[in-house]
Amino acid sequence: MRLADREQDGIVILEPKGKIMGGPDATLLHDKLYEYIDQGKKKVVVDLSKVDWMNSTGLGILISGYTTLRNNEGILKLANVTDKIQSLLTITKLVSVFEAFDSIEDAVASFK
Amino acid sequence: MNADLIKNLLFLVTGGFLVFLGITVTRDNFTSRVNRITGGLLFLAGLGPIFAALGSIMAQDALGATPIERTTLYSFYLVWELFFPTLVAFSLLFPYNRLRNFKRPTVIYLLLVPQVMHLVLMLAFGDIANFSDSLEARAEEGGIFSIVLGPLAYVVSRVTLLLGFLRAYAEPVFGTINLLYIAVAFYFLETGRRRQTNPRLTAQTNTVIRGLRLAAVLFALSYLGSQIFPNEIPDALITFLRFAALMTLASFFALAIVRRQFLDVRLVFRQSLIYTLTSVILVGVYIILSLRAEQFLAPIFGERAQTVSYFFIVFILLLFPTFSNWIDNIIRSMFVRTRTDYRNIMERFSRQVISIFDSLKLRQTIEETLKTALLVDHVYFVLYDDSVGEYAILQSDDYPRRTVINRDDMMLRGINLLDKPTPFASLREYVEGSALAAILKEQRVRLILPLKDAQHLVGFLALTSKAAGYRYTPEDYNVLRVLSNQMVTALTNARLYADSLEKIRLEEEMSMARQIQLDLLPERPPDLPCAMICAESTPSRTVGGDFYDFIPMADENRVGVVIADASGKGMPAALLIAQIQAIIRSEVNNGNPIPEIMKNMNQQIHKSTSAEKYVTLFYGEYDREDNAFHYANAGHNYPILVRANGQVEHLDQGGPIIGALPGMDYKSAAVQLQDDDLLFLFTDGLSEAMDADGKEYGEDRIQEFVVKQRTMEPAAIIDALKRDVQSFDPSYPPQDDTTMVILKVNNMGGMNET
Repeated sequence: MRLADREQDGIVILEPKGKIMGGPDATLLHDKLYEYIDQGKKKVVVDLSKVDWMNSTGLGILISGYTTLRNNEGILKLANVTDKIQSLLTITKLVSVFEAFDSIEDAVASFK
Repeated sequence: MNADLIKNLLFLVTGGFLVFLGITVTRDNFTSRVNRITGGLLFLAGLGPIFAALGSIMAQDALGATPIERTTLYSFYLVWELFFPTLVAFSLLFPYNRLRNFKRPTVIYLLLVPQVMHLVLMLAFGDIANFSDSLEARAEEGGIFSIVLGPLAYVVSRVTLLLGFLRAYAEPVFGTINLLYIAVAFYFLETGRRRQTNPRLTAQTNTVIRGLRLAAVLFALSYLGSQIFPNEIPDALITFLRFAALMTLASFFALAIVRRQFLDVRLVFRQSLIYTLTSVILVGVYIILSLRAEQFLAPIFGERAQTVSYFFIVFILLLFPTFSNWIDNIIRSMFVRTRTDYRNIMERFSRQVISIFDSLKLRQTIEETLKTALLVDHVYFVLYDDSVGEYAILQSDDYPRRTVINRDDMMLRGINLLDKPTPFASLREYVEGSALAAILKEQRVRLILPLKDAQHLVGFLALTSKAAGYRYTPEDYNVLRVLSNQMVTALTNARLYADSLEKIRLEEEMSMARQIQLDLLPERPPDLPCAMICAESTPSRTVGGDFYDFIPMADENRVGVVIADASGKGMPAALLIAQIQAIIRSEVNNGNPIPEIMKNMNQQIHKSTSAEKYVTLFYGEYDREDNAFHYANAGHNYPILVRANGQVEHLDQGGPIIGALPGMDYKSAAVQLQDDDLLFLFTDGLSEAMDADGKEYGEDRIQEFVVKQRTMEPAAIIDALKRDVQSFDPSYPPQDDTTMVILKVNNMGGMNET
């Protein structure tokens, strides 16, 4: 997984790319999140459009990110969830936990 | 055989032995001053008895020597007195070098003055007296020379008088000086011993001091005896006492110095013994030949033969080391194979280390070799630790606790560039800002010995100065360079060995864990009157994160079925699963309703693991009384319920995955089962089996397959499905843990039939 990040209207946009599979990926996302949390930026949208695949550990990483932000009074939302990830979220019943949006704009707008 | 001859032979043999012991010690490490001095000490101690014996033998006219030759030889036995200044020199260098900071260490030779004077006095007095007489005679003749010769003759005659006086009282004067030398040597040795902290050196100094005490008593006895009772005590006894003292001291020295070095004591003594026996014969021949040569010289130099003979003897003495070297080499090549030199250290070291695989013991052996063979005071090990990826100064007898070195330490970088033993002082440019350099400095490190394999720095040894403050010689550097190569090999071997041991240990642990996990799974499905059950679980590694179980309940009509899949693989997943099994069994035994079981389980797992660890789990209870199946699905792949008529339902009610988020609520649902209804539970290892193009087998295909084969017995369905997946994904058994459970209702309205 590679991880790009940017800000849009004060909202942090994270763009993982490739496969989210655990191992170093976990640290990568974790460190990036804490970087922003330390700056007081706690509204994060994860853009999943470029994620081909996600295994159980990958899902764990997303959950961990969600928990990290929530414990720091922040919030993590998802955007551009692919069908495959959508079905993973459905099966694991995390659809009720993660707020998911069809586009980054929608996700960013939802913070207002 | 008379007593005299026996005494003389005894003197010759012991003297010869000491001489060769001296030569051995000197040759052992010629560059070391302490070796040279000890060797000289033993050499001189040996010369005394030899000359005394030779003089005595010649006095018997056995060799037809002239009276002049006899006196000359006999007087030469005073050479042994040089033993005393050498002794003082020794005490200045041992156990530590007091002359280290001395600008002109050669002043040490001034110590020789009184004894040399004594020797010259005894040898040359006759000539000087003659010269003085002839000068006076010439002066009295008058003539042109008398103006010059007169005062000269006067001065010479005064000097001669003074010398004559000294000569008359030589015994008490020089005897006192010698005793004084002993006292001085004793003082230096004693204070040196107190300052010494190296236990080995202390023990050796003690040996020397003990010998010195004994010898001092014997010397004092002989001197005082001859002075107080000049007539009562026979000369032979005095001579004996003196040489006994000499031998005692020399043997104690030999003992101390030989033990202090890496020399094998027995070997050295054996060598010296062989030298002695061979050389007594050779030296005899040598002296006879040299005396013959002197007879040829006598006619050429006429009357001055006596003076010539002194020079001749000195000349012979100077030639002696070359001569003895020659004998030595012959004897070595003939009798002594093992060489007690650096090559021996290296051979012994490589023999030892090749069989040591325990890295601590290996380090101890290296340390011991350096301390005993090269006399290094302290050795510090800095090694790279693979498992943590850092360099650290290791704890040892010399160093209190393991200290990690910063990767970017300047000194470490500097040492990384070295490829041979290097003085610490020459690494000055890396000292600034380096914590490592500060520690090395504090520990008084003098030399850095880099340990490098083909690519990188395995570590390095930091050596302090040698015991007693001696400098590292060029030979030391060579030896260290060779030893360092062997150390690298040995240390690498030890590490690889430890790694393989660790791997074997881990494998054993894993197979034990696997056994435990297999024991946790039901040995076989319960024998239910109402349903056929078949289950199979294949971990992708030794242990896995999949789990299924059948839980008997208080109500005999009910049975619990669980299937679960922990996130991740291997040991971490297996541990999570073990926890799940314990919790669910106790929850079910408590008789809790399904939603509560799930909620409690979620809370407990969430509390005991980090957020990214979770379990997908499906739990259901089948009641044969009413044919109902109550369940809750916590984020698990939907189990497939295939009705007898081929209709399919997914059991998807429940709540989120277990352990990810706190405070989740779960609901349960129930389905009514009929005979021949088939419930297929599985984990994602099955659905995510992939073909060569990366396409997944998929849940649809599973469902299709199970629907088609629903009339078969559960075990047959599982086998067929496995074969189908295998034809799809040749690498199956899969990358992920895979588990399947089939429950086929066969209740016949409560009748007991299978």
